[in-house]
Amino acid sequence: MALDSRTVSVAAREAAAEAPRRGRWSAAGVRRVAGKLGGLALTLFLASLLVFFSRFLVPGDPVSFLLRGRKPSPEAIAQVTAQYGLDLPPWQQYLNWLGGALTGDFGRSLQYRQDVSTVIGERLPVTLMLVVMSGILIAIVGLSAGVVAALNRGRPLDRLTLVGLTVLSAIPSFVGSIVLIAIFAVQLGWFPTFGSGQGFGDMVYHLVLPSIALAIVFVVLVGKVTRSSMVEQLGREHVEVATSRGLKRATVIRRHVFRNALGPILTVSGVLVAGLLVASTIVEAAFGLAGIGSLLVQSVDRLDFPVVQAIVMLVVTAFVVVNAIVDLTEPWIDPRSAAGASAR
Amino acid sequence: MSRLLDIDGLTLELHDGTRLLEGISLSVAPGETVGLVGESGSGKSLTARTVLGLVPERSRLGGRVRLDGREVIGAPARDILDLRRHAAAMIFQDPRAGINPMRTIGDHLTETLRRCEGKSAAEARARAIELLADVQLPRPEEHFGQYPHEFSGGMLQRVMIAGALTSSPKLLICDEPTTALDVTTQAEIVRVLVELRERRGMGMLFITHDLNLAASLCDRVVVMSRGRVEESGDARRVFTAPEADYTRRLIEATPSIAVRSLDGEAEADASAPAGPMLEVRGLDKQYQLRGRPPVHAVVEAELEIPRGGSLGVVGESGSGKSTLARMIVGLEQPDRGEVRIAGRERSTAPRSRAERIAHAKSVQMVFQDPYLSLDPRIPAGRAIQDVLRLHGGLDRVAAEARALELLEAVGLGERHLAARPKTLSGGQRQRVAIARALAIEPELLVMDEATSALDVSVQAQVLDLVAQLRAQRGLTVLFISHDLGVVRRVCERAVVMRRGEIVEQGPSERLLREPEHPYTRLLVDSVPRPSWEAAA
Repeated sequence: MALDSRTVSVAAREAAAEAPRRGRWSAAGVRRVAGKLGGLALTLFLASLLVFFSRFLVPGDPVSFLLRGRKPSPEAIAQVTAQYGLDLPPWQQYLNWLGGALTGDFGRSLQYRQDVSTVIGERLPVTLMLVVMSGILIAIVGLSAGVVAALNRGRPLDRLTLVGLTVLSAIPSFVGSIVLIAIFAVQLGWFPTFGSGQGFGDMVYHLVLPSIALAIVFVVLVGKVTRSSMVEQLGREHVEVATSRGLKRATVIRRHVFRNALGPILTVSGVLVAGLLVASTIVEAAFGLAGIGSLLVQSVDRLDFPVVQAIVMLVVTAFVVVNAIVDLTEPWIDPRSAAGASAR
Repeated sequence: MSRLLDIDGLTLELHDGTRLLEGISLSVAPGETVGLVGESGSGKSLTARTVLGLVPERSRLGGRVRLDGREVIGAPARDILDLRRHAAAMIFQDPRAGINPMRTIGDHLTETLRRCEGKSAAEARARAIELLADVQLPRPEEHFGQYPHEFSGGMLQRVMIAGALTSSPKLLICDEPTTALDVTTQAEIVRVLVELRERRGMGMLFITHDLNLAASLCDRVVVMSRGRVEESGDARRVFTAPEADYTRRLIEATPSIAVRSLDGEAEADASAPAGPMLEVRGLDKQYQLRGRPPVHAVVEAELEIPRGGSLGVVGESGSGKSTLARMIVGLEQPDRGEVRIAGRERSTAPRSRAERIAHAKSVQMVFQDPYLSLDPRIPAGRAIQDVLRLHGGLDRVAAEARALELLEAVGLGERHLAARPKTLSGGQRQRVAIARALAIEPELLVMDEATSALDVSVQAQVLDLVAQLRAQRGLTVLFISHDLGVVRRVCERAVVMRRGEIVEQGPSERLLREPEHPYTRLLVDSVPRPSWEAAA
């Protein structure tokens, strides 16, 4: 097939060169974006089915949880069942839930006796802050480690960076959390051991150690991808051409190596978002943070299914949306992908 | 006369002590074109790169390289940048790899103007558009915002040339600038280069492996081999009366299209009364692609090769010659038409294992790139034995003996039986590929650009081998190539393909001597000829 695609691509290229210049917002481009958004909606719909109906597979009955500790009369059971809409057929329960979810109403939490949106709303800022701080850390440390290693490839600094990253990657986040607490909070007393603080500044201060603990594994991932992507680009002929034209090394690296290496880095970053949200459960537990992660663990434990469903949908949505954004920025990173030409 | 470039006793050693250049000396005067010719690994590219300070990391340099009166070796980084910006510029081999695919053509052209010369965006743009017009691109204004993938190879190479000219260099270094291009495109690019050289009075250092091209373009040539200069001097003198042995061998190995005396010309030999070995009738293939117009790769192809004959298929990239070959071998299914090999219908997809094996036994293919067509894990001997045991049902001992015979037949020996492809040279690999194809004694051998990736001296060996095998075994050969000289050397008859259609066919000598179709004439005229012959 290689030969055919070559034959074809030569013809297509000539046709493209002859055709008048197409804008970024060509018909094909609009179709692409529309297709992506459609796919996004479909993914979310399928995820909602899975998330909602998985409750029926889990052992345990929400009603008995609600009436726990009491000896319920059949009337009381019937009343609670009706109150929570659990007497309806499953598909109707699903439609009710979906209708609510679309307007931000995920029902009532069984353990807190509050709206799910309120319960989550209280905890979301901590998790978001944690994820954002971690993300910044990952971007700065991961990218610089990767860039430094790539620019010194084969030299001691490269090897040192790689060994360092490998060692870090072997540290699970709960171990990392404990070590960080032991050293910086207990021994040195620089940071608090527990809680998420009051107000913005205090919250940032409280979240320094947790965000480091959360970032460790992902720094390694981003660092390694950055390094290999940069090394690949450094070997490209267009980099030598740019050098031969008298551009400064820093300019060549920035405009031709790093810029071209961005594609794989962005792809990994998309996957990373879901990973961060999931891994935050462990870190939040270790640092006693009242965030979404610890709430999820708690709610699963207590069969508080409206909260579990809402959180899982939230994570899925975040993941799908971020990846759709990454996909949509691809033509901007690599103009060839918009034209459907084979990447080289 | 002051020299623009003066290289004297240049040596280059890698950090592990490997010596790649041994005392290279050459010079280029303003307005002069000097050719640097040699085969792969001769160090010609490395020599040229040294001029711009583009040397492998941690390598040690010796000797002198003076560019525009300034020493390059050991110069501080600032001076090197200045030389790259003002004294010399370089055009690289593959424009598709050499221009950043993620930035626009305009960005490529204005980058140095804006970042090194401090020109404003408008000034740089005006200059870039002027240069695009200089290299004869049709719509400069429009090209400015286009991306490389929207261009054909020839157009991109013009962009590369325009990019090199942004700095108004005194010396233009061209590193195989037309090797990745079709012959007609090569002719256009060479025309552009010659015109710019005259107009700007630039000196040119032109690196190529193609002696004909060097002869058509250069005032003087330097012949290199294994990091040494073998010979240098006036181009006409070097090519017509070479002094060094190496030059002489190189010239002999280079296929030419110059037509020899006509009396000895053997038209297809009438001594083959049996029916044709290969018969292709109305073969047609279209590729349907989503969202694009269909591509008609092969249109109603008709051809015939007599038993023991050889036919060349000539065409440029995208002409459908490879698709034709793949249909004949059975790697692709034609939409219409038939292929008969030794009288048997071969155009339908083989259904059973037996049919598949019978098909493979009647026709074998040698592919373009021997680096890709041999499995890197399988030693040469076993690659051949596997085929023998699959088709011949030989036992291990017999297969091994036969594999050795085959290796010997292609000029290799016992020590190559256990050799893995990576320890073999390109020529040796292609011999193994040929031995493997011949192992089952196919009725027809299809060679798809089988010598294009090889150096001329190695190519000559492989072509001699094919000629010898044809004489000994009466092998029938279908030879696909873009190179008219090579086809002439191997094939009595040839067909010329363009955009899927066979536009002309006939005896190869006749096609070269008196091409009838305008496209054939264009192909023949595009092949570079020594400047002294063209003038005569």
